[in-house]
Amino acid sequence: MLKYTLRRLLGMIPMLLLISIVVFSLAMFMPGDPLGGEIDPTNSDPEYIEEMREKLGYNDPIHVQYWTWVTNFVQGDFGKSTQYKVQVSELVKSRMLNTLFLGISSIVITYIFAFAMGMTAGRKAYSKLDHFIGGLNYFGLAVPNYIAGVVIIYFFSFKLGWIPFGGSHEIGLQPGTLEYWISRFHYVLAPAIVLGALSTASYTQFLRNDIIESSRKDFVRTARAKGTSESKIYNSHILRNSLIPLITFLGFDIVTIVNGAVITEAIFTYPGIGTLFLNSVNNRDYSVLMTLTMFFSLLVLIGNLVADLLYGIVDPRIRID
Amino acid sequence: METNTITNATPKPQKNMSPWAIARRKFVKNKLAMISLAYLLFIIIISFLAPYITTADISLVNIGQMELPPSADHWFGTDKSGRDVFTRLLYGGRVSLLVGMACTVAVTIFGTIVGSIAGYFGGKIDSILMRFTDFVLNFPFLVFVIVLSAILFGEVDGVWVLILVISVLSWGGVARLVRSKVLTEKENEYVLAAVSIGTNPFKVITKHLLPNILSTIIVQSTILFANMIVVESGLSYLGFGVPSSTPSWGNMLKASQESDVLQHMPWIWAPPGIVLVLTILSINFIGEGIKDALNPKSYR
Repeated sequence: MLKYTLRRLLGMIPMLLLISIVVFSLAMFMPGDPLGGEIDPTNSDPEYIEEMREKLGYNDPIHVQYWTWVTNFVQGDFGKSTQYKVQVSELVKSRMLNTLFLGISSIVITYIFAFAMGMTAGRKAYSKLDHFIGGLNYFGLAVPNYIAGVVIIYFFSFKLGWIPFGGSHEIGLQPGTLEYWISRFHYVLAPAIVLGALSTASYTQFLRNDIIESSRKDFVRTARAKGTSESKIYNSHILRNSLIPLITFLGFDIVTIVNGAVITEAIFTYPGIGTLFLNSVNNRDYSVLMTLTMFFSLLVLIGNLVADLLYGIVDPRIRID
Repeated sequence: METNTITNATPKPQKNMSPWAIARRKFVKNKLAMISLAYLLFIIIISFLAPYITTADISLVNIGQMELPPSADHWFGTDKSGRDVFTRLLYGGRVSLLVGMACTVAVTIFGTIVGSIAGYFGGKIDSILMRFTDFVLNFPFLVFVIVLSAILFGEVDGVWVLILVISVLSWGGVARLVRSKVLTEKENEYVLAAVSIGTNPFKVITKHLLPNILSTIIVQSTILFANMIVVESGLSYLGFGVPSSTPSWGNMLKASQESDVLQHMPWIWAPPGIVLVLTILSINFIGEGIKDALNPKSYR
């Protein structure tokens, strides 16, 4: 397993290098002058601009610029945001925590809903309840998250007033207090449900089908013959077998969340890295844009790595390949 | 389950029916898929005939008729610039469906070419092509589409930029699927026979392998079509898709980002939302129907 992990980790390095080259060249191709915030906008003296360009290294050959960027990036120096005039690392750190909170809440909610629905549907297969859950899943898979978000905001925020329609917590609360966390959870609930809808639907579907398949197997018949109670058969004998393949989905969840975060955060104006990213594209804030694109790519790579490693744990045959 | 379906099976189709005829027969019997197909055709026809159905000007800003609720004159009301929502819905459908179709066709063709070459030749060509595919699949899709369309925006006509960008970043899945199908299919004797009488690789792939994996590709491209429409609308919703001067379902939904529109004028954002969801649902049902119809093991 260790050898397999190491091999997979080493395989990531060329991919990372290639992605960094792509990100860098994309930033080079972006329209507009990347200087923006570093230069005093009132001073239009060409000599001054030239001097600043020289000082900031924009006149260096491309490969030198790339190298400077990569070495700084690896050391955690992501440059300075031209829009907010602060270090990108600080900006990203606070936003990253919000996104992390959203992502983890979404995974927890996904698991709770998926297990409740999947186990019910699997146990009462082909019943009315099963068809109802199946129909709900169809909607979960077919309704795009931006439409689900809009509808949720319309009904639950505006019509019923149950949930806030934007932000990450109530203003004026002291961080760390109980009220602060309750308010944060209250704010994250709707975006987390929307973000997790797709995964919830596929988990539920998978769990249901797996439970139905397992319930016809010999070990279940043996358990029944011994007089084991139905709930024990379903909750421990069958579920334990279905959990194993389900674990491998976790890696793909990371990928789904990374892609979904951008759009979900935009709908709910949640201050995470997704909204920061969209802002940076709109305002040509290159250092933020490049850092975040690298971060997103890194997260997707990690997600795929986690998926592969979990596969390796669950199915040892894969490790040899 | 297996034995059950066989004993209850409808009488087997006549001997002289082609596999496609059998599939068609099975599909026509599938009510949900047929209703979905009818709905989808209806949407496609009224969208592409939009100029003949409504005479209203889509770009006309009418200050006297802003934010009107639905009425006999304006079936779905008017938006913040006084444009008729119904008209925009029709024209928007044209753009959304066009982008969806164009991306699906491009992705399917390119993915199939890469996948079948990698699968058929194997060895070095396979590993190079598959590394490349992995590379594309490892991009966070939405993030790169947004960055790329921000770069290309304004250089070329907006809709085509979007189609190009989406297609370039999403062929990986099809390529992988086709490759794995070709890998199993090429082990069959008929391929060996074709190769041994000296058929050239191009002909083996197009005449022998592709027809046999066509059903998988068709099912996959139906799913892709739905996904591509979702992607287009999502990007337009964020403001990185179709240029805002051209109506599309996503662009219309974008209006809901203003909270007074979202709160008080549901007729502006609800119609595109409902039509979009129904379209995606119907494409999914059609996809399931095709999958079922092309599966020789299913009798219903």
